[in-house]
Amino acid sequence: MATDKELNDFLENVERRAFKQAVYAVRKDESALDIVQDAMIKLAEKYGDKPAAELPMLFQRILQTTILDYFRREKVRNTWVSLFSGFSRREGDDDDDFDILNSYEAEEGSAAAESSADQIEREQTLRLIEEEVQKLPTRQREAFLMRYWQDMDVAETAEAMGCSEGSVKTHCSRATHALAAALKAKGITL
Amino acid sequence: MNTDDINLAYKIRHALNEQLDTLPASTTDRLAAARAAALARKKADAPIEYFKPAPSGWREMLAGVGNFVSGPAMSRLAIAVPVLALVIGMGGVYQHEQQQQIAELADIDAAVLSDELPLNAYLDPGFSAYLESQQRRQ
Repeated sequence: MATDKELNDFLENVERRAFKQAVYAVRKDESALDIVQDAMIKLAEKYGDKPAAELPMLFQRILQTTILDYFRREKVRNTWVSLFSGFSRREGDDDDDFDILNSYEAEEGSAAAESSADQIEREQTLRLIEEEVQKLPTRQREAFLMRYWQDMDVAETAEAMGCSEGSVKTHCSRATHALAAALKAKGITL
Repeated sequence: MNTDDINLAYKIRHALNEQLDTLPASTTDRLAAARAAALARKKADAPIEYFKPAPSGWREMLAGVGNFVSGPAMSRLAIAVPVLALVIGMGGVYQHEQQQQIAELADIDAAVLSDELPLNAYLDPGFSAYLESQQRRQ
C-alpha cells in the first residue's frame, strides 16, 4: 500500500509530464491543468491504498480516461452551443488551434530572425519536436509517451491503454518512424 | 524497433524533458496545489482482513472475533441465519402436523378395532336403520 509520502513523490515526479501529455491532447493549458488535477484526485481517492508499484499504470489509465471525458464533454457542449447560437463552437475550436500553431510559428520565426545563438536554436528545435509529438495520432502518441517518457514497460502500457502488447509495440514503432521522418523533413538531427 | 529507433526515442525523451524545465511558475504552482488537494483526499488505508491466521493471544483472538462480527461476512450471515431458521422451523411444524394426523387416525382405528361391536355390523344396512331409529327415539 502506497504511503502518503510515496504517493506525493510519485505525483511530484509525474505531474509535469502528465500536464504536457494533456496539453498535447487537448491543446489548452487551462484544460490540461484541470485534467491533471482531476486525474490526481481520482487516483488518490480511489486507488490511494494500492501498492506504489501500481500507481504509474493506474495514473496513466485515469489520465487517458479523463482526457477522453474532456473531449466527450466538449462534444456535448459544442452540440448545445451550436443548437442555441448561430456559431458553431467546433469552428471556434479550430480557430483556436490555428491561433496556437500560428503563434508558435511566429515565435519561431521571430526567434530565428533575432539571433542565431545556440540557445535559441536549441529552444526552437525542442519546440519543433514537441509540435511533432503533438501531431502524432492519439494512440501512437499515448503509447510512445508512456513507453519512452513515463518509463512504463510494454505490459503496463498495454494495460493502461486497454489493448494488447503487440498493439503497443506497433504504435510505438509507427510513432518513432513518423517522428524520425518528420524531424528529417525539417532538417532536425538529434 | 531497431537500435536506431530506440536511440531516437530516447533523444526525443531527453528533448521533452528539457521542455519541462521551462514551464511557467504559475503552472508548476497550480500542479503543486493539485497534488496537495489530491493528497488531502487520499483513500484511507484498506480495512483489516476478516479471516486471519490463528491468533496467538487472547487479545488477538478477541480482536479477530470483533472484526468478524462487524465485518461484511457477518452481515451476510445476519441474513442467512434467520432464513435458515425459518426454513427449518417450517419443516418442523409440517412434520409435527403430519405426526398429529397419523396419531389421530391411529386412535380412530384402535377405537374401531377394539370396539365390542364387530366391524361388519357397520356394513349391514339393517343395523344402520336400527341406529337411525334409535337416534330418532332419543
